[in-house]
Amino acid sequence: MLFQINFKSGTPVYLQLVEQVRHAAASGGLRAGEPLPSIRPLAEELRVNRNTVAKAYAELENQGVIETLPGKGCFLKELGSPLTKTARNDLLTQEIDRAVVAAHHLQISDADLLALVKKRLEAFDRKNQAATDSKDPA
Amino acid sequence: MNTAPVIEIQNLVRRYGRHDAVNGLSLTVPAGRCYGFFGRNGAGKTTTIKCLLNLLRPDAGSVRVFGLDPRQHEVAVKARLAYVPDMVAFYPWMTVQDTLEYLASFRERWNRDIESDLLQRFQLDPTKKTASLSKGQRTQLALIGAICPEPELLVLDEPTSGLDPIVRREFIETVIGAYQSGDPGRRTVFVSTHLIAEFEGLIDQFTIIEQGRELLTMEADAARNRFRKIRARFPGESQLNLPGALSVKRAGREVEILANGNCEALLAEVKAHQPEELHTESLTLEEIFVASNVLKSATA
Repeated sequence: MLFQINFKSGTPVYLQLVEQVRHAAASGGLRAGEPLPSIRPLAEELRVNRNTVAKAYAELENQGVIETLPGKGCFLKELGSPLTKTARNDLLTQEIDRAVVAAHHLQISDADLLALVKKRLEAFDRKNQAATDSKDPA
Repeated sequence: MNTAPVIEIQNLVRRYGRHDAVNGLSLTVPAGRCYGFFGRNGAGKTTTIKCLLNLLRPDAGSVRVFGLDPRQHEVAVKARLAYVPDMVAFYPWMTVQDTLEYLASFRERWNRDIESDLLQRFQLDPTKKTASLSKGQRTQLALIGAICPEPELLVLDEPTSGLDPIVRREFIETVIGAYQSGDPGRRTVFVSTHLIAEFEGLIDQFTIIEQGRELLTMEADAARNRFRKIRARFPGESQLNLPGALSVKRAGREVEILANGNCEALLAEVKAHQPEELHTESLTLEEIFVASNVLKSATA
């Protein structure tokens, strides 16, 4: 997969890498079992500190998004969070609360917010579908 | 990871005649970090580096490299570090291969695999005389000579100035790829430069030096979080009250504000005046360096 780093975003570089892998995994850009670029070539290509990439991969591994196979590299894991359903709901609730707060300040109505969420879910579904179609051409 | 700092400078003073090149500088570089050392021409960067290498003797203060005084333990210190200056010179009658053999003869270890990898990558002809190398090729040769001994500390003094963009890019990729591929606790980089943008992604922490003194020392991520630019456009004239802004630029209905850690408060004030457009971004390290001039006059 390809990464894009933006030093002006205010988000630490390693978190930008984490977010991009998570996004690719959610939208079918990266499939379970597919390898991530190795640390050294990726660091060279992005011209970022090798430790930054290593930190991003360690974080992704902690979150259960990727797994490291010694000698083989890092791969996207099958979905299967080690956390309980309640814990997962709690984590997502925090993220949703942020969107709810933002919607309030942007004066977006509840109905519009819900419609927008539905639209985004559909958009990700479409991307995933397109990724699956290109994998197994019918 | 090693807990002892690789470089420790305390209240360093070095004068040239009546001119104080370095005037009470202190900084600490922990093991495994890539540390940026920024400053304008004549700020005292090279003088500081020369004190680390015992090429100059401090007039006051202390310098420790790997916990040792470079004046008393010059060989022990130099055996564990490598240095690439901005102007590199080699014996002109030697070939590239001769030069590398010569450099290797001073070293306890020399990684032949890295040597051949890098010669190939830079497309340096080992049989060529160093006198006929371009400036870029000379810097590449110096970098090979610095990385092959696998030093614990790599000191770079303006390494990429005067090089074309492709050679500069390769230089940095090599530092990341070839040098950083070793044990991270034993791979410390201390780089002085004013071409900051190129090293942006590599730098963990930095010190800005101004007139021989430390002006600002920060972690790169924290600095990008603290220094932000707010741009806004208002429907009409607005009276903004912006205490604590590093600088405020106005052009008609538009305003550009530099925030130094108080971004939230400044944003709240801007939002209260209902801007038509509002945009915030972090400053890059280079922009922070430029802004540090403002910072200096603000604290003076």
